[in-house]
Amino acid sequence: MTNDTPNDTTQHKDTQAWSEVQLPTGTGAKDPYAMPALMPSSADRAIRSFNVADHTVPTRKQEDFRYTPVERLSEFFEPFEPSGATEVSVEPLEGDDLPDGVEISAIDKGEAPMGTVGEPADRIEAVEWNAVEDAMLVTLRGEVSAPVLISVHGVDDRLDALHLVIEAEEGAHADVVIDHTGVARLDECVEIIAGKDSRLNVTSLQQWDAGSKHVGGHRISVGEGAELRHNVVTLGGDVVRLRIDQDFAGPQAKSEMLGIYFVEPDQHLEHRTMIVHNQPQCTSRVIYKGALAGKGAHSAWVGNALILPNAPGTDSYELNRNLLLTRGAIADSEPNLEIENGNIVGAGHASSVGRFDDEQLFYLQSRGIPENVARRLVVHGFFSELVEQIGLPQISAALMGSLDARLEGDAKAIKAADLKLVEQTEGTDFDGADPDDADPDDAGFGSEEPSSDNNEDSNEPRHTEEN
Amino acid sequence: MSTLQIIDLRASVETKEGRKQILNGVNLTINSGETHAIMGPNGSGKSTLAYTLAGHPKYQVDGGQVLLDGKNLLEMTADERAKAGLFLAMQYPVEVPGVSMTNFLRTAVTAVQGEAPSIRTWTKELSEAMKRLRMDPKFAQRSVNDGFSGGEKKRAEVLQLELLKPKFAILDETDSGLDVDALRIVSEGVNRAKENTGLGIMMVTHYTRILKYIKPDVVHVFAHGEVVETGGPDLADRLEEEGYDKYLPEGATESALA
Repeated sequence: MTNDTPNDTTQHKDTQAWSEVQLPTGTGAKDPYAMPALMPSSADRAIRSFNVADHTVPTRKQEDFRYTPVERLSEFFEPFEPSGATEVSVEPLEGDDLPDGVEISAIDKGEAPMGTVGEPADRIEAVEWNAVEDAMLVTLRGEVSAPVLISVHGVDDRLDALHLVIEAEEGAHADVVIDHTGVARLDECVEIIAGKDSRLNVTSLQQWDAGSKHVGGHRISVGEGAELRHNVVTLGGDVVRLRIDQDFAGPQAKSEMLGIYFVEPDQHLEHRTMIVHNQPQCTSRVIYKGALAGKGAHSAWVGNALILPNAPGTDSYELNRNLLLTRGAIADSEPNLEIENGNIVGAGHASSVGRFDDEQLFYLQSRGIPENVARRLVVHGFFSELVEQIGLPQISAALMGSLDARLEGDAKAIKAADLKLVEQTEGTDFDGADPDDADPDDAGFGSEEPSSDNNEDSNEPRHTEEN
Repeated sequence: MSTLQIIDLRASVETKEGRKQILNGVNLTINSGETHAIMGPNGSGKSTLAYTLAGHPKYQVDGGQVLLDGKNLLEMTADERAKAGLFLAMQYPVEVPGVSMTNFLRTAVTAVQGEAPSIRTWTKELSEAMKRLRMDPKFAQRSVNDGFSGGEKKRAEVLQLELLKPKFAILDETDSGLDVDALRIVSEGVNRAKENTGLGIMMVTHYTRILKYIKPDVVHVFAHGEVVETGGPDLADRLEEEGYDKYLPEGATESALA
């Protein structure tokens, strides 16, 4: 059952448009699911607007906020004056010089491509748009030979807003890592444009210090024939709530989203992916895995996939697995699939929340492996495939180390392991970007060099790490 | 020369109907190089004995001692028991997705031996041991027991037995789910381990067919949580003829035939 017409029946009373569709009669006429394409989809109901006032103040009664501790995020519900203190720099992930094909610039609000990828889907995103005056634009051209690191470093807990735009031009191949560190209360939007036939790998790391909050989201457009790999790794922050909204700008594109999170006591880490299949023959995969330890550790994953009538040949799958390492942790997991097109290749989902398997532990221990090592092995096994799939060897090893440290529950080791990841991801002496490209006065992106404070911080624990 | 002594071992398990006593005072002594078959009807507590010895948290020890060369295993965690020289080949080996066999085996050997084997000798030893068990080299890269067939799982258990070189091995229904060829290969592996290291074996089985490949020195009949009869290899032959009927409550029947 394929049709190219919009599915909103109230505006399309002309039955001619539905001539190929056999409308149900008799008892079937009363069954709303007899004709799914005639039902209004969630996307039709959801408000998209840059205006704060168009979005209601979030409460837990709203579907999109039912898992969110809204009381812990209320400061992001009303317009605020951003501190502008968050330090943003663009560096090579390794080495000293940014590879060719990377251009950094500051653009004003309203200047394309800022604001061209969708519109805010909730009040938090609208508040961000309202707060920022400009964006940092990272343009990627041609074959970018080495990964590019965008370092976002919070310096205090004053409210701040940040807007990043990452654009891979037609045919570009590039890897980008956004590393969030420090202390912050940040409302952030990352717009990602994967141009026609581009291959873009974006990894967003959230390893905030305690006391941090991070909200907002990524709005993503994947062009014709393009391949997007979007990785999210959330390890730190008291409350992190990210929306990832993605649709397609042309047919035959691929989108793969991987997510890893490790939740510790009293942390709330929430990821909401929304993939809209609005073009024919596109493929999407969403795979998120999380481990939770300790009382009050709370994760929420909501994976939405919407396959519109104009997206025949869609192949989509989403999966979320949660591993509860201790009692007192809560994982919410909800896949939602709306299919308005019968002519698809596949649409599947899977979701699970499981406890640490005592039988696995016993098996490993019965082979002489001590309990702590056995636990680490099992969690390694849980995450390893996904970590490898991130496709950045520079990050994989450090990430495994960081997960291990959390598993051991050793605060000092966690700190050391995290900084190790930072140390690996942050280049040494950065002088890559042409200062003319980004106007520091205008953009308010902080210094392009890592601050001296930052260097000191990462030097000290480096010693403990090696001991 | 080592000795595994089980003295008046009592154990229970939590069930829906409350705590249930399963082992009612087991007494058994196995020396290095000896093979003891523990035979008995279903539900007699054979597997409970195996898991209790290995330290499975599900089983609560209510009394008795298990001494390996004088050291009480019951005071040790499962991994400490393995380091002391005990190995349990499980009836249903557990799948551990995402952990490769090589990583697992090397971690286990390192833990048991107290130091990591050198890469070179380790790789050689592993590939030769796998070859002897007719295991595809690709096996080493697969996740532990993940998607293995019944026969592959049992081979993997014997592979571990050969690599970890314990003093005593408990084989829990190692013959179940094996075809004749696999049974022969697995049995050869057990016999090889015994020959090479003087392994003492406690072979828990319901059927007699594995005894054709792994010859027992002593046969024990296990019923209602204790050893009720002990004899030589001929006792197994008699069980094959007569079944376990005489050890069962009135009216129940059970066969020892494969």
